[in-house]
Amino acid sequence: MNINKSNPLLLHPLNKWMKKKKWSWFPHQIETFHHVRTGSDVVVFAPTGAGKTLTGFINPIDDLIKLKKFKGLHTLYISPLKSLANDIVRNLEKPINELDLNVSFQVRTGDTTPYKKQKQKQKPPNILITTPESLALLNSYENAKEFFHNLKYIIIDEIHTFLDNKRADLLSLNIERLQTFSPNLQRIGLSATLKNKQDAKKWLCRKKPKIVSYENSVFPKIKILESKERIPWSGHMATYSINEIYKEIIKSKLTIIFVNTRAQAEYMFKNIWLINKKKLKIAVHHGSLEKNLRLKVENNLSKGLVDCVVSTSSLELGLDYGDVEKIIQVGAPKGINRLLQRVGRSNHNLNTPSKAILVPTSRFEFIEAKAAIEEIKKNNLDKIDLKEGSFDVVAQHIFATACAGQFDINDLFKEIIKAYPYKKLKLNDFKQLINLIQDGGYVLKNYDQFKRIFQLRENKNIYKLVNRRETRKYRMNVGTIIENPMLKIKLGTKTLGNIEEVFIQNLSQGDSFIFAGQVLEFQSMKNNLVQVKRSKSLISKIPSYSGGRMPLSTNLANSVRALLAKSNMWDSYPEQITEWLKRQKNISKIPKKDEYLVEQFPRKKNFYTVIYTFAGWHANQTLGFLLLRGFKEFNYKPLGFVANDYAIVLWSLKEVKEIKTILNLELLDKHLDNYLEETSIVKRLFRDNAIISCLIERRLPGMEKTGKQVLFSSDLIYTVLKNNEPDHILLKSSYEDAKKNMIDYDRLREILKEIDKKIILKKLTCISPLAVPIILEINRENLSKKETDEYILEDLENEILKEANVLSIN
Amino acid sequence: MYYQLINFGNEEFHAYPNKSLYWKRLNTLIVSDLHIGKSISYAKNKQFLPPYDTKEILNKIFVSLDKIKPCNLIIVGDLLHDVFSTLSIKDQDYKNLSQYMKNTDFIWIKGNHDKNIQIEGFKNFTNYKIGKFLFTHIPIKTSLFQICGHYHPKVKIVHRGKTIFKTSFVHNEKIFILPSFGILTGGLDVHSKQISDVLGKNNLSIYPVGQDKVYKLKLK
Repeated sequence: MNINKSNPLLLHPLNKWMKKKKWSWFPHQIETFHHVRTGSDVVVFAPTGAGKTLTGFINPIDDLIKLKKFKGLHTLYISPLKSLANDIVRNLEKPINELDLNVSFQVRTGDTTPYKKQKQKQKPPNILITTPESLALLNSYENAKEFFHNLKYIIIDEIHTFLDNKRADLLSLNIERLQTFSPNLQRIGLSATLKNKQDAKKWLCRKKPKIVSYENSVFPKIKILESKERIPWSGHMATYSINEIYKEIIKSKLTIIFVNTRAQAEYMFKNIWLINKKKLKIAVHHGSLEKNLRLKVENNLSKGLVDCVVSTSSLELGLDYGDVEKIIQVGAPKGINRLLQRVGRSNHNLNTPSKAILVPTSRFEFIEAKAAIEEIKKNNLDKIDLKEGSFDVVAQHIFATACAGQFDINDLFKEIIKAYPYKKLKLNDFKQLINLIQDGGYVLKNYDQFKRIFQLRENKNIYKLVNRRETRKYRMNVGTIIENPMLKIKLGTKTLGNIEEVFIQNLSQGDSFIFAGQVLEFQSMKNNLVQVKRSKSLISKIPSYSGGRMPLSTNLANSVRALLAKSNMWDSYPEQITEWLKRQKNISKIPKKDEYLVEQFPRKKNFYTVIYTFAGWHANQTLGFLLLRGFKEFNYKPLGFVANDYAIVLWSLKEVKEIKTILNLELLDKHLDNYLEETSIVKRLFRDNAIISCLIERRLPGMEKTGKQVLFSSDLIYTVLKNNEPDHILLKSSYEDAKKNMIDYDRLREILKEIDKKIILKKLTCISPLAVPIILEINRENLSKKETDEYILEDLENEILKEANVLSIN
Repeated sequence: MYYQLINFGNEEFHAYPNKSLYWKRLNTLIVSDLHIGKSISYAKNKQFLPPYDTKEILNKIFVSLDKIKPCNLIIVGDLLHDVFSTLSIKDQDYKNLSQYMKNTDFIWIKGNHDKNIQIEGFKNFTNYKIGKFLFTHIPIKTSLFQICGHYHPKVKIVHRGKTIFKTSFVHNEKIFILPSFGILTGGLDVHSKQISDVLGKNNLSIYPVGQDKVYKLKLK
């Protein structure tokens, strides 16, 4: 490293410790120190292993030593994960204790005992390490101002995880609150490398904004698994390559296998276990497992006591597992940033490259994997799109503000619009959110005598909580993460983890399923506990977990399209892939980078239309639905559609002749509301909105509501509201959320805007090689929930009626 | 309106998708568990549900009365959610009610939620007997056929790998339970202990309510 003689850090209290460890300061640490010392808010971009955590603490520790015996809270450190917060404390402990520095630090998360929390409030440490939710709670206490008024720094770790979601909205509002309490507060963000660094800066920085960036010169070594087996056309489980994956595990000291879903994790674990002749120590890790089980795996991983862990994104962030030698990514990478994050889990050391092997589970995924490797070589990262903040989070924040004491709505509004996600918040919407917290915000004023907050008579701008009891309700409902209704799984008295209620509902007594790497038999369900016993059954189901399906990033999609068109590359691919593409070229066409190929062909008695958009699963799902509507209007008698990340296939009774007339922007504007309605997307988001805005409660004091009940009542509220007050702020909020998140609205708009000029239409006599994968995926039902319900009832009734002569109904 | 024909106690009843039951021979319409004003009752605890349930429920009733023009409307309990509920009934609603009362007798069987509340024009009963039929909120010990409410029955259907819940009419040989006519009311599984204690587990006729149709299932 380049040590400058004038390096001010050589006088830093931690310099002694650095020297002892034979470490030297990184250039970005020197730069950050300088900028922060001269009053800038800074975002630091650096890869893992480049002393990022320490970078955040350099200025706070320097200050604290200079100030000598500073009393009270000086620095707040925000971590996205509880486990990461604990890890930070462990890392901070070493230098501070070894050098005997007079700096106190503590962690505060949902796991901290009430006793300890109370003590922290009375006698705050100099440095507090916490999460966004715990910060929101601290800000809701009556003495919040006093607690934070001397705060000098706020450090946001892994800030790239906070840029595009509701958690980010919540955090941004609370940072502005801290700034109000302590106007001198400086902000330091720590981030993995990002494409749009300026956006992160805009989100966080206010005072003399600065970016500090450190790029790694050592690129990871990533290759695709060379398989002698046939790569399947379609599918997600990589069964074909299991033996080859096993060989790779044997070759390395410690391997993490990353998969994309929890079901894949269970499946992969089971399959490796079945061929584990060498008796390797293998574990499985995902977010539904009981905390203790997860901690055990994490512990074994950091001590090197396992040979391999199969994991979902649950092991993606943070923690330093120094001895991981190799990463195996099974399934499509989906995005460059995500793949890099995962690959970075191996060799947590700057000078040796990370090693990773990609295992595509289908032919398109091979192209995707190849494209991802190319982009990483070019260091072409995905963009993280900042989005406008959600209304429901503001509502929750208003409630929190009321809990802390009476407030002036004009002051609050001014503070909120300082937060980047809410720059464009309209005063009128804000006032409706005030009303929402006050009494539900309905046009029909029935609740005047039951308000939660009220205006002071002498000053109508000042609102106050009616009853201190309400603070408790806020505290039970804080946060923006809403989980699906889950049930606890019990093996004897031991809790294994949580499983989606929907999955259990479809099981009968005696059915077996895989969870936590074990085959379990479903015995009974009592009081929301699922009792299971171990089973030797070979046939077992794998729990499905809704959500979490990541769409292909736009950046990677573009790269896939470009790569597909590069026919001079084909010969370097495995023969089966080359053959596949060559045949496609002969029979139909390989679309160029900016072309949209549409193929049409008869098959069995139906007519098929396949559109290769490479728009990602969400956008394609939406487009499929819209096209179904469009086809209906033209009377082509469409029967259904299936979408994946790359393409959409629709099948109809009649030949679709006017595809170019139907496929355009008008289609989106005309049928979008219908789509949101019929697929219950808005309804599901309304539930989140109702809970986050505290209109309905997650749980009541002393009475834990099951997830199911909340879901049920929010559906009823949604229906009543839609029928009577379609302009209600929470419905508006749910629609906005739907457009933002669920359907990749902007992405679809972008594609449809100019698609008519770019369509290449191929009329074929039979299915093309490129179409095979998606045709194979036609097995899902694509009916809306409402239709499905009626269909199930009808079908069941018919079945019973067929048996009528036996059963004799009435 | 499409209805499902139900034979109970050797009489014919029509079950409507709006969750009302019609006894054609006596031109009598039966509803249960309206829980009018549930929203206002929740608002007391700062749970602000949309305050439109009262209006919607009354409109649903008025639409039925316009169509069927029954001599009697029997409410088998829990017309109101609690004493606060009357706050949600507006003057215009009272006027409308009294108009309908000119042609229809409003028979209000008291439920556990609305025992001590009065509304002008309603005829109050703890239970009400017509021939061999007894109308009551919660079933009692009797040899009569009983038509009641209280339980808000729904049925869980698992079919072809999907699970759905549907509000249902349900009866055994002697006891008929109506679904809740309310808007913000939940439901109880017909196989729950509470309902099984009343109806038993076997020989239930279950009528799940769909969008525009009442279906018919029979469980052995």
